[in-house]
Amino acid sequence: MEQFSIVGKDVPRNDAVAKARGAAVYTDDMTLPGMLFGKILRSPVPHARIINIDTSKAKALPGVKSVITGKDIPKVKYGNWRLFADTQDEYALAMDKVRFIGDEVAAVAAVDKETAQEAVELIDVEYEELEGLYDVDATTKEGAPAIHDYCPGNVSVNRKIEYGDVEKGFGESDYIREDTFEVHAVSHAYLEPCSALAQLDLDGRITLWTSTQVPYIVQCLLASTLGMRENDVRVVKPFVGGGFGGKMELRTWEFCAAFMSKQTGRPVKFTLSREEEFLTGRRRHPMTLHSKVGFKKDGTLVAKDLRIVLDGGAYNAMGPTATFLCGNFGAMLYRYPNYRFHGQHAYTNKPPASAMRGFGAPQSLYASEIQMNMAAEALGIDPVEMRLKNAQVSGDKIPDVATISSCGFKESIEAVARMSDWKRRRKELKPGQGIGIGCYSFISGGVFNWFNTQYPFSAAEVRAFSDGTVHLLSMASDIGQGCDTAMKQMLAEELGLQMKDIRITTADTATTPQADLGAWGSRVTLMVGNAVLDAARKIKEQLFGALSARLNANVVYEMECKNGMVQPKGRPKKAIPFGDVVAMVQKSKRGEPLIAHGYYTPRDKGLVTPAFGFGAQIALVEVDRETGKVEVEQMWTAHDCGTVINPKGVEGQLAGSIQMGLGYALSEQFVMQDGKTLNTNFLDYKMPTAMDMPPSAVEHIDTYEPEGPLGAKECGEGLASPTAPAISDAVYHATGYRCKDLPITPEKILNSMEEGA
Amino acid sequence: MTLPKFEYFAPESLDEAQQLLLDQGVGAHLLAGGTDLLVKMNHGLLKPASVIALKHIKELEAITYDPKEGLKIGATALLADVAAHADIRKHYPAIAAGAHETANVQIRNMGTVAGNLCNAAPSADNAPTLLAMDAEVEIKSATGERRLPLDQFFKGPGQNALASGEILTAIHVPAPGSGEGVSYQHISARGKVDISAVCVGVMVHMAENGCDDVRIFLGAVAPVPMRAAKAEALVRGKQLTEETIEAAGIAAMEESQPITDVRSSADYRKKMVAVLTRRALAEARDRALKR
Amino acid sequence: MKHPIELKINGDIYSLAVDPWRTLNEVLREDLHLTGTKLGCGSGDCGACTVLVDGRSVSSCLTLALEVQGKEIQTVEGLAPSGDTLHPIQEAFVEKGAIQCGFCTSGMEMSAAYLLSQNSSPTEQEIREGLSGHLCRCTGYIQIVDAISDAAQKMKQS
Repeated sequence: MEQFSIVGKDVPRNDAVAKARGAAVYTDDMTLPGMLFGKILRSPVPHARIINIDTSKAKALPGVKSVITGKDIPKVKYGNWRLFADTQDEYALAMDKVRFIGDEVAAVAAVDKETAQEAVELIDVEYEELEGLYDVDATTKEGAPAIHDYCPGNVSVNRKIEYGDVEKGFGESDYIREDTFEVHAVSHAYLEPCSALAQLDLDGRITLWTSTQVPYIVQCLLASTLGMRENDVRVVKPFVGGGFGGKMELRTWEFCAAFMSKQTGRPVKFTLSREEEFLTGRRRHPMTLHSKVGFKKDGTLVAKDLRIVLDGGAYNAMGPTATFLCGNFGAMLYRYPNYRFHGQHAYTNKPPASAMRGFGAPQSLYASEIQMNMAAEALGIDPVEMRLKNAQVSGDKIPDVATISSCGFKESIEAVARMSDWKRRRKELKPGQGIGIGCYSFISGGVFNWFNTQYPFSAAEVRAFSDGTVHLLSMASDIGQGCDTAMKQMLAEELGLQMKDIRITTADTATTPQADLGAWGSRVTLMVGNAVLDAARKIKEQLFGALSARLNANVVYEMECKNGMVQPKGRPKKAIPFGDVVAMVQKSKRGEPLIAHGYYTPRDKGLVTPAFGFGAQIALVEVDRETGKVEVEQMWTAHDCGTVINPKGVEGQLAGSIQMGLGYALSEQFVMQDGKTLNTNFLDYKMPTAMDMPPSAVEHIDTYEPEGPLGAKECGEGLASPTAPAISDAVYHATGYRCKDLPITPEKILNSMEEGA
Repeated sequence: MTLPKFEYFAPESLDEAQQLLLDQGVGAHLLAGGTDLLVKMNHGLLKPASVIALKHIKELEAITYDPKEGLKIGATALLADVAAHADIRKHYPAIAAGAHETANVQIRNMGTVAGNLCNAAPSADNAPTLLAMDAEVEIKSATGERRLPLDQFFKGPGQNALASGEILTAIHVPAPGSGEGVSYQHISARGKVDISAVCVGVMVHMAENGCDDVRIFLGAVAPVPMRAAKAEALVRGKQLTEETIEAAGIAAMEESQPITDVRSSADYRKKMVAVLTRRALAEARDRALKR
Repeated sequence: MKHPIELKINGDIYSLAVDPWRTLNEVLREDLHLTGTKLGCGSGDCGACTVLVDGRSVSSCLTLALEVQGKEIQTVEGLAPSGDTLHPIQEAFVEKGAIQCGFCTSGMEMSAAYLLSQNSSPTEQEIREGLSGHLCRCTGYIQIVDAISDAAQKMKQS
């Protein structure tokens, strides 16, 4: 392992004290003078044409300052896939149709919340109801009504991958199995409901403070929907209370706040209620996965044919990416010499699904991992051995998709088997107990430029000062995952400084360098980290030049920044304090501040990602055979995220992933009836609590990712995948119930046990 | 979050509260802990014209226990205080358990047992045990006072037997006799902290020739907490063997009338009635034999 | 009709006129700008709005402001003894990595303060039970439980 002084240490988060004191300001905490309160009117019906909207009573209510509908706003569609304009299918407010219960129809801004609420209730909308279509079979069948006029047949995205010869592969297989899996929608359930506050600057610029993962994307799309130039819109991300993929698009309330602030000349704030979040919020894609895999007798994989239909809900949102990625993840983890994928993204009259932690991987890998276990059982091979036999390794190529660079997958499987005493436990458990395994791979950011940005994917600016401090500016978005701290650690490491020497300003499109695509796809550590190091190295170049000149030595030394000093490598006697060398550089340039910019855009990295993380997880469960209730007793995880920048941060990501995976496997789901979400509160949307969390042991596999900053790659998102298959496999081991339709409920377990008995 | 507008009153005596209730008429709503009322108001399910707070009436707070008279839980006694009360934990462990397993820490610091009953949710955690123990509610109005057996109190989901102008002022639970055992069992979809999908309260009285009295109440499987009379008939007068208990569980399952909702399917609820009734009977029997 | 009330929050007296339908959460956040107390659900399920009233943890979203007149209210802003010193609970949250997005943090800390006022050396299980009224989507609770356990030890020592 590389020797680092700050990277790899448990440095507290740079915002921890502010958050511990309750002093960190989130969007809804902000109040501006004269601020108005916004409220959205949402469709109560799943699919209808809007015949008429009467806002006169709402407008007449004292205290109401603005009421807008689709008629009042520019008719500009938006969506994150700017590269393909035909995927942009959403207006900020419904123009002529509503497509799901909760679709945004009108908005009100008033002097207080009570008045806004009252005004919304005074808007009369006349709907002509249309047939609602709630599942992909209904929307994709011949003659189904089109949910979007532009898209007859309702399949909005098709994606295919094929390499090798799949049919030939099946021909050569000794054992073939074909299964269908259904995976369900779950909520991001970030604790901070979405909030946006807009203010019109006096010279015509709009500033939007918003709970987002993607300030740059919001800036660009907001500008286009408002008919303004990008530079006339400033987006600032205050502290954000979690995102998990649910805050990575321009959303209606952001548009409405901006539009209404322009219209009224007063600041306007919208904050969603938890009920709105659950009723209408984005969610993880439900998918139907048909998977056919072929093996040799000895367990060697030969071919895979994967067909996935994604239930996208009413709009594309991040569906195109999910369609793209679930096919890529279907080819990950194991060596599939022959592989074919066809993904279809279909519209339904339900709240749109979108990006959510894992982004196609939890669904695709659930099918892969369960099928692996089923095949292992049929072939009489231990599931761990079966995985080791087929595991991808460093240097493996996935045609047209990626080349795997660092890879600690086999080591992860071996470690987790050892930690859990797999071999013994798999045989020697008491009745009702079971142990199971699940694995994952995940990307460290995306390579494909669907947003069609002209900027680098990530950028950083470092300003060095003669007092020995530096200021790091970046548009990267810390939404709780801790990237600000990780970036500071990397910068401190590179410049030989302490955490306290680094000031940081982030995620303000007007002051931080263009651009950053945002916090998603586990891209920030690798991409922004590389940009930070690029800037730091440019600073060092100048420092080293100045020091060389000062030392006037007849031998040219390698230089280093260490312990707050700049020095010839290993020669602390010749060291000069960092700040003094900064002053030297400045004095040599007529006082010009020492500032450097760093950038990162992946090059020659295939279609998907510059680097993959890997890992394996084992779950021990006990099932109450009378009630069917599952208690997860222990989780073991071994994973490869390259260099660990902040161990506590990584372990926190892991524990959070287990919580989410536990919910995905066992308790969380949207209960829907005719397009309506029935469980719209935390009482009935069942997220695991502190009392449900199992003890957890973790081991970091030591690898170094050459493309990553100081060897680092993704750590927080891949782990969203293995928990559900590991628990599912353990439940099968305990009860004989093999779950092919998530979530695993006590009822399904009991029914299966009854059938088996 | 915006609550609908209402008038607010904080009477300091019961008389004052009763008068207010009369004056304000049908639009008035009583407020104890507020943990149900405010949620309903926040979701627009309830829009009272006025709210009369009870927590400022000192005489409604008390929890008293007397070996002869039994237990009296005042209308504004907090769930947390009932759960932690030394006498309740000693003499009525199932009542303490029911209170302790209601919702979560903060809700128990605000909510009341009486409120949980008045709210009349079919899933109310405190109802089955109190019903099994033959509790009565004390009801007062400007014109008088009455006692009502708790099993006549629930009228439907969200509906109770209080007439306009009446206030539930206390819950009375008879003193536990020797040979009595009580158990509360519940199950929910999430792990530990949750609203019950099914709950069961059982009281048995064990004599030398077996169980000579039994009361079994099921929650969340009918519009109101229901008595499992057929199951009771199977165990009354019998030794509580595993076979008898098993049969009683099946009888309770058959007589329960659950629905399918967001929390569970009717089918699963029925199965759980059998399991929980069996577990409750076994625990109640064991507790009775220890007394 | 607005009612004139005095609220005692973190030892300070605030004189206000409050509509009956406004919750303690709204008054803290909107009128007094004590925004450390969050609003995560409005139904008493998530715990982000937890404050102490007369020493007991309650959901400020389900408490009418008029109901807490004359009581001692403590919010997260009242935990730390000074601008440069943290409460041992806060210190432990910072050190143990118990904070990620931070939205649940202040409520968690208030429940921790309540728990430790009732039980100065809770077991891990008791800490988990003490957090039963809280949801966190980031941390998986493990480091939070760790932090509270650590704070309990520190508070006993001092």
